[in-house]
Amino acid sequence: MDNNKKIKNIIQALGEHKDSQAAIELLTEFGTNSPDDDIRELTAQTLIRKNTHESLRVVLISQGKGINDLSARVAMASINELLSLKDKSEAVKILDDTIKMHSDEDVRNTARSVRALMTFSS
Amino acid sequence: MQIGKISLHTAKAAEQAASQNNASQSKSVSNPFGVSFKGNVIQADVFQSSAQKASSGIAEKGKLFASAVVSGINNFNEAFKSRMNSIVSFGKKVTSNVFDTIEKIGNTEIKFDMEGIKNKLFPDREYSVKNLSNKPVDELKTMWSGLRQESTQAV
Repeated sequence: MDNNKKIKNIIQALGEHKDSQAAIELLTEFGTNSPDDDIRELTAQTLIRKNTHESLRVVLISQGKGINDLSARVAMASINELLSLKDKSEAVKILDDTIKMHSDEDVRNTARSVRALMTFSS
Repeated sequence: MQIGKISLHTAKAAEQAASQNNASQSKSVSNPFGVSFKGNVIQADVFQSSAQKASSGIAEKGKLFASAVVSGINNFNEAFKSRMNSIVSFGKKVTSNVFDTIEKIGNTEIKFDMEGIKNKLFPDREYSVKNLSNKPVDELKTMWSGLRQESTQAV
């Protein structure tokens, strides 16, 4: 088993971990800042699947992370994961707040696009 | 001297009286051995007949045998008791030793590092999602950090 596979397994384990808060902090610290696209992609998907306010904030309003990632593949994978959520209420609420109040225009535009996609897909 | 005469006369009179008495007794008591005794003859018949001796001999033998049997039984009982005591003490010792051993075994902690053994047998098991999800997040952070360093060094 190579190191990349081991790290992916750690990310999956953190997604199922009972200590959700500590797991989100570790995923944010190590996963979203990883130089590896695969790791960032899997981290974003894991954070979105947790579907909590803290985990969704990381992938929706942070520059260079989640839907705002410079890698189109990571950003698209994050958007697909958001669209596949059964309960989208928390994500929609964060996107609305981001559209209204975020200081960065690129982040606001991305949030607006994703919000529109979510509206059409529901 | 008047006093000396009286005393001598009295002594002679006592001798005469005693000889008369002895003579009368020797005449009345039968003597089976035909031997005359100068002293007093014992009045009680201390001699036993031959028939009586035979019967008493059998009785004595019976008594001796019985006493031998009783003493034998007593000896056997004592020997049996002493052997039983030794057997009982041996049994107690064995029992106490067994209990001590059981207690020692009960107090002895036998630990197997099953996780370590499993990880040695199945190296990939340590990084299985199921195994990792049961570990504390701090430990996962340490593992992830180590893997990141390894990847950086490899590059």
